[in-house]
Amino acid sequence: MDLSYIFVICLMALTFAYETECKQKSGRGRGSMWWGIAKVGEPNNISPISTGIMYMDPAIHSTLRRKQRRLVRDNPGVLGALVKGANLAISECQHQFRNRRWNCSTRNFLRGKNLFGKIVDRGCRETGFIYAITSAAVTHSIARACSEGSIESCTCDYSHQSRSPQANHQAGSVAGVRDWEWGGCSDNIGFGFKFSREFVDTGERGRNLREKMNLHNNEAGRAHVQAEMRQECKCHGMSGSCTVKTCWMRLANFRVIGDNLKARFDGATRVQVSNSLRQSSNAVPVVVVSPNAAGSSQGVANGLLPQSAFEDEERMLNDDHMPELLMDNNGMAVIGGHQMLSKQHHPNMPSPNSLPVAGSRARNGNGRRMGRKHNRYQFQLNPHNPEHKPPGPKDIVYLEPSPSFCEKNLRQGILGTHGRQCNETSLGVDGCDLMCCGRGYRRDEVIVVERCACTFHWCCEVKCKLCRTKKVIYTCL
Amino acid sequence: MSGTILENLSGRKLSILVSILLLCQVLCFLLGGIFAPVPAGHLTILGSLCRENHARQNDTNFFLYSRGDGACKQVTSEEVDADALKLANQIVHVFQLPLPRENKILEYTRWQQNLIGVLQVEFGYDSSPELHEPAKELQLTIDMRLAYRNNDDADNDWKLYAHSVEHRYLDCDTSHIGPTETLYTCDMIPLFELGALHHSFYLLNLRFPLDSPKQMNLQFGHMHDLTLTAIHQNGGFTKVWLFLKSVLFPFVVGIMVWFWRRVHLLQRSPALLEYMLIYLGGALTFLNLPLEYLTLGLEMPYMLLLSDIRQGIFYAMLLSFWLIFAGEHMLIQDSGNKSTIRSRYWKHLSAVVVGCISLFIFDISERGVQLRNPFYSIWTTPLGAKVAMGFIFLAGVSAAIYFLFLCFMIWKVFKNIGDKRTSLPSMSQARRLHYEGLIYRFKFLMLATLLCAALTVAGFIMGQMAEGHWKWNEHIEIQLTSAFLTGVYGMWNIYIFALLILYAPSHKQWPSMHHSDETTQSNENIVASAASEEIEFSHLPSDSNPSEISSLTSFTRKVAFD
Repeated sequence: MDLSYIFVICLMALTFAYETECKQKSGRGRGSMWWGIAKVGEPNNISPISTGIMYMDPAIHSTLRRKQRRLVRDNPGVLGALVKGANLAISECQHQFRNRRWNCSTRNFLRGKNLFGKIVDRGCRETGFIYAITSAAVTHSIARACSEGSIESCTCDYSHQSRSPQANHQAGSVAGVRDWEWGGCSDNIGFGFKFSREFVDTGERGRNLREKMNLHNNEAGRAHVQAEMRQECKCHGMSGSCTVKTCWMRLANFRVIGDNLKARFDGATRVQVSNSLRQSSNAVPVVVVSPNAAGSSQGVANGLLPQSAFEDEERMLNDDHMPELLMDNNGMAVIGGHQMLSKQHHPNMPSPNSLPVAGSRARNGNGRRMGRKHNRYQFQLNPHNPEHKPPGPKDIVYLEPSPSFCEKNLRQGILGTHGRQCNETSLGVDGCDLMCCGRGYRRDEVIVVERCACTFHWCCEVKCKLCRTKKVIYTCL
Repeated sequence: MSGTILENLSGRKLSILVSILLLCQVLCFLLGGIFAPVPAGHLTILGSLCRENHARQNDTNFFLYSRGDGACKQVTSEEVDADALKLANQIVHVFQLPLPRENKILEYTRWQQNLIGVLQVEFGYDSSPELHEPAKELQLTIDMRLAYRNNDDADNDWKLYAHSVEHRYLDCDTSHIGPTETLYTCDMIPLFELGALHHSFYLLNLRFPLDSPKQMNLQFGHMHDLTLTAIHQNGGFTKVWLFLKSVLFPFVVGIMVWFWRRVHLLQRSPALLEYMLIYLGGALTFLNLPLEYLTLGLEMPYMLLLSDIRQGIFYAMLLSFWLIFAGEHMLIQDSGNKSTIRSRYWKHLSAVVVGCISLFIFDISERGVQLRNPFYSIWTTPLGAKVAMGFIFLAGVSAAIYFLFLCFMIWKVFKNIGDKRTSLPSMSQARRLHYEGLIYRFKFLMLATLLCAALTVAGFIMGQMAEGHWKWNEHIEIQLTSAFLTGVYGMWNIYIFALLILYAPSHKQWPSMHHSDETTQSNENIVASAASEEIEFSHLPSDSNPSEISSLTSFTRKVAFD
């Protein structure tokens, strides 16, 4: 079975390669329309409570794909987090690119148009960055919303604990509450990752090179969120000693993730099609596997299962294993099938932690069904320049060089740098020479009125002075 | 004097007893490792921002909450950024716990025992040149209000649990330096500790009052995320723990009653070591007493303190016991009287007493004060932290002195035994076998104690390692922590259980006849044959002590006078 599995993968890889050669210039990735929801709620303020109303909004309906709509419907409160996430991505992108010719400008949301404009149609660096940062922002935002309590369907991480003996015999809802009472519900940022994969990667089937690029960049965005998580511990044993210690993960500020992604943007890898597969290096260790399906005796074994064996068209949020990218920090140089063989100890292991929640119908065909999507994350992109290193899981990849972004070109979705502010003294891209592409610039003096020297009194008075400052602004012609 | 059961037990019976106890030990370990979840669970909660009406700012019966009917309208961080004053003095950080999960509204149960909250602060400064690196000890003033609600109450029916304005000192690091804003991430600060998790829902409202005349919170730029981590004991762990206690409790009580009856059947008053054993059993019984059942019905905020005290008493008793055990096998013969703690051991025990008292004072000044104000922590002020460290240092020094002293005493006992061993060959066969057996068993007990102590330390380190390697998708079984806790707890119970059995006075009457010792195989006979030698001791002028517990004592004592 393993051999045939590898064979099928190879066959598929060849097919992909062929396809991508043919369709290299085909259009943008199909999974990017959802970015439009950033602008959906704009006139009125979005709060997580009003999600019911927001869902009725036809603009959302048209923005989302069918699977995305289902995800939003099944997870009340998630829409608010998605809107926040999309806006977070836009503002972070604009912050990171404020000094560059392309400044991550967005267009007014129009039906059928992409939020970031036609630049997304090209597989250039900027596009790669957009994909990475939006995927990262959704992950971050969903994880935050879970810890804010605005999404009620966030999952519990039951992987580290034996389950209550009674729990398995109860109906779903009772079992969940019992689990909470028995072993708590330690936060898992994992829901953010799982949801991001489900939601963001819809439509990117990895069939052609462009879709592979999108998938890779989406994964890279999530990998950066994961890499920036920090562990915190607190001792609370006898008299506060460390006989009992509790640890948890903490998300970094999104600005830090944005900085890291920007650094990867500057060192992005241009890739081309390849025949070799990214094989099982990222097969994920499935967390805790209970050997008896009833799970009442809580025997615990650590099984290693290839992630792909469980991936299904309908991969659900309730999967308790983490996305493989979380484990995939050691590069992906593993080639060949023997590793997959050695990891596939339990081809028919029952789903370890299938939670009793509606929708966990996913894994009924574990390991046997090998549809198209099973390996959509299992590919290896080769650098365009063979002397370069192949891109790692956290690298941003692109397919074609970026345009200069100097002149307005609506057909390509480029706004140009006319009217942009620049820095006269800088020698970098934000300097007026580079920013204005040699067209020259204008000097203006403006007077800015700001509140300053404020004094506070608790409670509840604030007094400020108004300060006028003169500022010099340079604008590209 | 007929000696103890340990001396009179045959090797076979002893090995059976030891293997049964070892089996119980393994069961205790597995109980924690397989059935129990991790000892503590936690929820990480991100603060929601609510804008507040100034008129109600001083009303401590008014609460803002983020979920349920009548929840406040939340302010997004973009709105805060957009405001020129960052909505200073208008924002309340709201934490409502527990969080909903899997489409269910979770609530705390009383099985979850206690709740500890820590806060993590992120803030940003404008990266303007006049603002420098923040000082290392930034004082943060927080107005904290904790409210509770039960599951049958209405959504807005929050009742005040505690209110306090507290100062915390922050230690912050730069996490990002940007052109417009520099971000700082701070070490977590302790926020509150509740000894009783009696209600279903809790709500925390935090305000950071900005006040120019009082220089309050002015050093802080713009507050970003506030993350509260609420740690509670897992219900499953409490259940397993209470089960273990409820099972061990009657056994230990039973063996104590048996032991005490046996002692009283003798025609003498109990010896010091017997008193120590019964005190030790008493301390263990107090520790085993499953008082936690009461918390299911009553609100007992002092449970954290009480469990510290119970453990403290037990460990103090155990340490004292070891010291006296070693001392009783020494040959100090300052008076012919029965040795009591006061007459002989007060100097030895002073280290234990000092250590325990300093830990007790520390605990009272931390968890004792928390009974009045759950937001209090001695660690939050520099002075308090120094005082707390002082007490802990004192306890540590006492512990070190104690262990050095204990090692010295044990070394002395072994040295005595070794010295006297040289005179063994000159004794008669029966007597020699008898003393060799005694020495062997004394060493055996020392070995058992050492093994228990080593296992405790090793388990502790193992637990720390497993935690240290903890990643968020680890497949290391975290239940090791639970297994360590139940295993160690069971181990000391079994240890004391074994002591009570083996050190109970034996009722075997030594036969008056003197058997031929070369042919006897069983230890009983050897011991019995040694009985005739016993008379020798009683002829010694100094040996007027009728209450010595083991013949080893009398042996060493006699040899000392040789």
